[in-house]
Amino acid sequence: MGMERPPTGHDVELAAQAAAGDRRAYGELVRRHGSAVRGLLRRMGADSATADDLAQDAFMTGFEQVAEFRGEGTFGAWIKKIAARLYLKKVKREARLIFSDTVEPVEDVMVRDASKDAASRIDLDEALKSLSRGERLCVSLCYGADWSHAEAAEALNIPIGTVKSHVKRGLDKLRAKLARPEEGARREAHG
Amino acid sequence: MAEPDFEAQLSRMFAEPPSFPDAALFNAEVAAKLDRGWAMRRMFIAVAGGAAGLVAAFQLLSTRFSNEVAQLSKNGSHTLENEISASVAKFNAVLTTPSSAEAVWLAAGLAVVALAFFVTRAVEDF
Repeated sequence: MGMERPPTGHDVELAAQAAAGDRRAYGELVRRHGSAVRGLLRRMGADSATADDLAQDAFMTGFEQVAEFRGEGTFGAWIKKIAARLYLKKVKREARLIFSDTVEPVEDVMVRDASKDAASRIDLDEALKSLSRGERLCVSLCYGADWSHAEAAEALNIPIGTVKSHVKRGLDKLRAKLARPEEGARREAHG
Repeated sequence: MAEPDFEAQLSRMFAEPPSFPDAALFNAEVAAKLDRGWAMRRMFIAVAGGAAGLVAAFQLLSTRFSNEVAQLSKNGSHTLENEISASVAKFNAVLTTPSSAEAVWLAAGLAVVALAFFVTRAVEDF
């Protein structure tokens, strides 16, 4: 008895099959986007256990609502949006959504691998730790989940100006953090 | 670095999914949850369909429906017109029986819908 081959096709096709009740097609979407969703939740500030629980919940919710996904955007963006909303709901429920400038320690959960892109990921994950919770949330939502400032403001229930200022400060910090290795390399090259 | 360049770079960095050594386990857990949810849904549909069917059967038996059907067949030698008018009269009689005729038809309708839904899902599933 041979192993069944995983479903193939574009995400939109798989989503349509999943909407018709094909769990294997949806399983393939989970395989394709699971890590991205788990990574986003960690980057938003969730600890690893919470991130994984919420990622699973997001995919379960996604399966229930997959008929609503029409392929206007990418499936990845759609499922990330669901996951981000679940995380925001959780932090709001726990009254942990405080927009202060305090930088909270976040568990180092990203996996370091030897691939070419690993360095930039590690850089980003390290750099995100220097952001306050509000900055981290706003930057992750706008750049990790492709939300507009207005969408983030609405979801976070804060003025859009506050979102913009959090994003700006967050970007400044990230730029400074991420620029350092480049500067170091440049200095080494010239020295 | 210029702002748009940096923002584009940041978007690219966010777009690179991290690799997790337990990705297969995560996928398996989601699949198991989906299977559990599906099994529960099927069980619920089966129970609801069965319950609705039982209610419908009970209601049908408790009415004079079978008597009315027998009466209709006895009148088979009547003219078509008579038969139709008799059928309509009998049908109305069933509907207006004191033993909550609405409930009979409601339950029967629900049973048919539930059964059809269950069959559809079962066919899709297997």
